[in-house]
Amino acid sequence: MTGVVLSLRQLGVELAGRDGPRLASNMAPVLEGLDLEVREGEMTALVGESGSGKTIAALAVMRLLPPGARITGQALFGGEDLLGLDERQMRARRGSVGMVFQNPLSALNPSMTIGRQVAEGHRLHTGASAQAARRHAVDLLGEVGIPDPARRLDEYPHQFSGGQRQRVMIAAALACNPKLLIADEPTTGLDPLVARQILDLLAKLQRDHRMGLLFITHDLSLVERHAQRLCVLYAGRAVEWGEAPAFFARPRHPYSHALLAAVPRLGQATLRGIAGTMPDPGHRPHGCRFAPRCPQRQDACTRAYPPPVGDGRTQAACLFPLGEIPVAAALPEAPAATTPLPGSALLQMQSVTIRYGSRAGLLGGSKAAVAPSLDDVSLELARGECLGIVGESGSGKSTLGRAILHMLRYEGRILLDGRALGDLSPGDRRRERRRVQVVFQDPRESLNPRLRIGAIIAEALQLGGQHDRDSLRRQTDALLERVGLNAALAGRLPNAISGGQAQRVAVARALAARPDIIVLDEPTSALDVSTQAMLLNLLRDLSRHEQLAYVMISHDIAAIAWLADRIAVLRAGRIVELATTDQLVNHPRDPYSASLVASAPRLGAATITVPGEA
Amino acid sequence: MLDATQQPVRIGASSFLARLLQLRPGNATLTAGLVLAAIILLASAIGPVLYGRDPYALHTASVLAGPSAAYPFGTDDLGRNAFARLLVAGRSTLYVALPATAVAFVVGTLYGLASGLGPRLLDQALMRLLDAVLALPGLVVLIFFGAIVPLNTGSLILLLGLISWPSLARLVRNETLAQRDRDFVHASRQLGGGLAHIAGTHLLRVMAPVLVVNFTFLVGDMIFALSALSFLGLGVQPPHTSWGGLLQEGLELVALDAWWLVLPPGLMIFAAMLATSLIGQGLLARGGSR
Amino acid sequence: MRILGGIGRKLGSAALSLAILITLTFVLVHVAPGSPVYQILGPKASPASIRELNHALGLDLPFWHQYFRWWLDLAHGQLGTSYSVERPVGSLIVSYELNTLALQIVSLVASLLIAFALGLAHGVFYDRTPGRIIGGVELALYAMPSFFSGTLLILLFSMQLGWFPAGGLENLRLAHQTVASNALHMALPCVTIVLLTVPVLSRYFAQSVHEELGRDYVRSAAARGASPSRILLHHVIRNALRPLVTVLGLSLPSIFAGGVVVETVFSYPGLGWLLWRSALAQDYPVLIGIVLVIGILTVLGNLLADIVNTLLDPRTGYA
Repeated sequence: MTGVVLSLRQLGVELAGRDGPRLASNMAPVLEGLDLEVREGEMTALVGESGSGKTIAALAVMRLLPPGARITGQALFGGEDLLGLDERQMRARRGSVGMVFQNPLSALNPSMTIGRQVAEGHRLHTGASAQAARRHAVDLLGEVGIPDPARRLDEYPHQFSGGQRQRVMIAAALACNPKLLIADEPTTGLDPLVARQILDLLAKLQRDHRMGLLFITHDLSLVERHAQRLCVLYAGRAVEWGEAPAFFARPRHPYSHALLAAVPRLGQATLRGIAGTMPDPGHRPHGCRFAPRCPQRQDACTRAYPPPVGDGRTQAACLFPLGEIPVAAALPEAPAATTPLPGSALLQMQSVTIRYGSRAGLLGGSKAAVAPSLDDVSLELARGECLGIVGESGSGKSTLGRAILHMLRYEGRILLDGRALGDLSPGDRRRERRRVQVVFQDPRESLNPRLRIGAIIAEALQLGGQHDRDSLRRQTDALLERVGLNAALAGRLPNAISGGQAQRVAVARALAARPDIIVLDEPTSALDVSTQAMLLNLLRDLSRHEQLAYVMISHDIAAIAWLADRIAVLRAGRIVELATTDQLVNHPRDPYSASLVASAPRLGAATITVPGEA
Repeated sequence: MLDATQQPVRIGASSFLARLLQLRPGNATLTAGLVLAAIILLASAIGPVLYGRDPYALHTASVLAGPSAAYPFGTDDLGRNAFARLLVAGRSTLYVALPATAVAFVVGTLYGLASGLGPRLLDQALMRLLDAVLALPGLVVLIFFGAIVPLNTGSLILLLGLISWPSLARLVRNETLAQRDRDFVHASRQLGGGLAHIAGTHLLRVMAPVLVVNFTFLVGDMIFALSALSFLGLGVQPPHTSWGGLLQEGLELVALDAWWLVLPPGLMIFAAMLATSLIGQGLLARGGSR
Repeated sequence: MRILGGIGRKLGSAALSLAILITLTFVLVHVAPGSPVYQILGPKASPASIRELNHALGLDLPFWHQYFRWWLDLAHGQLGTSYSVERPVGSLIVSYELNTLALQIVSLVASLLIAFALGLAHGVFYDRTPGRIIGGVELALYAMPSFFSGTLLILLFSMQLGWFPAGGLENLRLAHQTVASNALHMALPCVTIVLLTVPVLSRYFAQSVHEELGRDYVRSAAARGASPSRILLHHVIRNALRPLVTVLGLSLPSIFAGGVVVETVFSYPGLGWLLWRSALAQDYPVLIGIVLVIGILTVLGNLLADIVNTLLDPRTGYA
């Protein structure tokens, strides 16, 4: 029997709203009644979408919440309630409880060498000499897999790659010999292969050091292989918790089901999103938080928060738990592969090369040394086809998309219906340009924050030469409805709608130009899991009904495989493999594409590693 | 620490007045600034008419008299009514400073937009020129030109306006560069939007809060520059007067301890600059971090 | 090595700025209405004497030729002769410039120390009462025009209390002046410049301290168990100083300009006071010389700020 390192009992957090003074009435509960255990040498996963309160829980344990937060309940660490300590005592505990944050670049001090940052915790807690702490830091950096650590000790964070920075952060947390390590979305923003390595590293360290690991993530598929225990949060409350293998074998709560069904996996035919949005703190429904979005909802659900049901292994707070329904069954319906007919290419890229960044300075930087970000790429896209471009960051996949949009200068030729844009007159060029539209990654960035939704879509129509007010209005409403939005949203500003809605508005704006091609540049990566699936479904519907061709760019091969007819794997600016989706997913020829495919979540392939086994 | 999605969703736009009355950070500052600015504007615009005393009449019987019922702010060394002079001085100060701000604002914004949106080479050329211009302290250049051009209302407006735009131009240019690569601008270009469309529909609109704040700061800077110039005898020329000119007259008589000639014009400049600073700070605080 | 390259680039850019500046001053002279000849000879000069002087000054040469000569003269340190005091502009400026430098350096050091302390307190207590109070003081000081605060200081300390002289310092290096007397004469102008400079710098510093305190690396340091004072000293201040150095470089022109007014208020015999006298006397060669010297000083100041920043920030050297 392993010892309990951390035990949360009825942990609750209230935070002041952003607007207005800190009044009692303005406090909103962001986390309520959380019970959780982390045991020695085990990984406990805390899973939830953004706004679920998962990060708040971690910061509450570390006592690092912004001033004005009200914390209730207990956080027992080695039998001692961390919430009852004064600040000085708490400071001594931090370190024994280590924390690794999301976004390692901003979490590291940019003007301090990594050696000093790694050594800082060790020196503070043991009073070791600078020399000893330095030696210790070299050992730690070696342990987390930084090659040649003694030499890199005096370098600064910006000299490391994203994955290495996260390794440095982990080393800095390890420096204080923590009994408990809290990792808050440590792999978000990293490439899938790197994320996998970081996760494996954490799992290994946790076993080697007999630490308890509290792993916070939005991605259930990520923790499937490593977690022993798990807790799913929704809108500030735990909906299901218990032993991870039992959970993945038989999830009970409708939200857990929905979350599992919403993540695209290789080999999956249907994606089920969750309609609606998570309620904000202060506007949460009485009773079950998930009830408004739940397909199983009955009247009793809204009366009181449901009591937990289940066995000794997993429990769910639900009145009507789901039983034997298997998760995201593979239905026989396979995506209709539209093989491009020869000679019918809508878009052709012929030996396109892009050498350096878009706006390299006249005075800054040497140009010759930089490797081309896109190297001799040739592609064809047929009418109505969806071509997926997959690759890691820096592979040139976004550059490729921007080249198709003529946002960059390139060598080689890009032809639309056999004609190059540069050969046309300025007027024709504008018209041709409208035939290729784009949906960007971050929906908030892609909508002008000071224009109303209606005006954003009307702009697209006006630039196409339409100016009749009534007709504009009618078309705007029709477009909003076509992407599944209420026409009443037209009067809102972008910051008054959710991220998923904003991304639909971006799709509607693209449709307004009546394009032949839409470039989808990581269209789902900024969205929550449940919203992602909804958008992917919408995109698939549109392509089937409108003869639209897509170029979908993503690092998520599973999402691409779900939508694309063919997939091009890009690495260091070159296409290493271009094949139909079926072929690439099942029989990749190139070793690099094989490793990408292997890192993606696959339907029914959940393998749980038990400590000691690996 | 809270991500954006956790912010309560704001629905619709509440009226400006309703938002003003809420006690949000910055509102007290903004309100104080607006009230102060209104008082100064009113005093300068209709003050001289309401008070009705001749600011140029020489009351030789009461030269350098201290404040009294007849002369609330005393008289100067020629026996002129200091209060009446203070009111018309405000009028002529704002009469130059406000149009000059408009000139500087327009020139600076256009220069910045041209530099930020134009081709790389144009941007480089414009910025080198701007660096060189910015290396010259504005006031020094003003004094230089003040010495060589005939000074009247029109020339002062042009002089102040054409010398005070560079810092705004740099700001607009940097802001343009920051905004022009945002996704919604790219989306608009892809829809066929030209440079003028992008600048008008997107850039200026997104920059509007920044521009408004900087316009208020620019008004303050302009009042300061004109007052300093007048204080040095190179601004508003006699027989007209300005706050800076009054203060200079006061300083010349400082040995006679005529504090009533020093305090009121000085305080008026202080109040005007305080008002613009308060408005600017208030707007900044309300806008928050966007 | 790369850091040196970065500084080299900045040197090149500063040289370019200077070249444009020199050209600009040349253009300034030539767009100036009223020929200098007219200024020297007065309204009653005969056409012959005007032609003669034009020739002597090289004003009858073609435009490009004059531009070339302008550079040549500058290269030899020739700035011409003052119309009003009949002294070479160069030596005139040097003698006044030393007084200005003494005043500015003392004021700047004092300003930086005060702004550092004030801004740090403001930044740490940003949204709380002490921070708001400091912010209010900064705002009020910022709105205070230097010629008004200077006049008030004279009124109070020279006229009412008689502690300090109101002006009348001839030249700091004159033999009969003692150090104590110099200090007395510099005290009020110095205080005025400090009052002018401190609010700008401390506000900026406060802003960047506040921003840095909100960054993620502060949270990670806290998660390692670092105390607030350690976080401030070891992590925040160094990062927060960079914007301060930048703004210091950028505000050098306005600090110089502020000095011009302050010197005039106190009749302090520095460059600003000379500028003012020359402006009233329409003494072009001196005016141009001063504009040029101030421009060069600002460009050098900016360059210095850039270099300090490069040394403070490990990233810029590699950019």
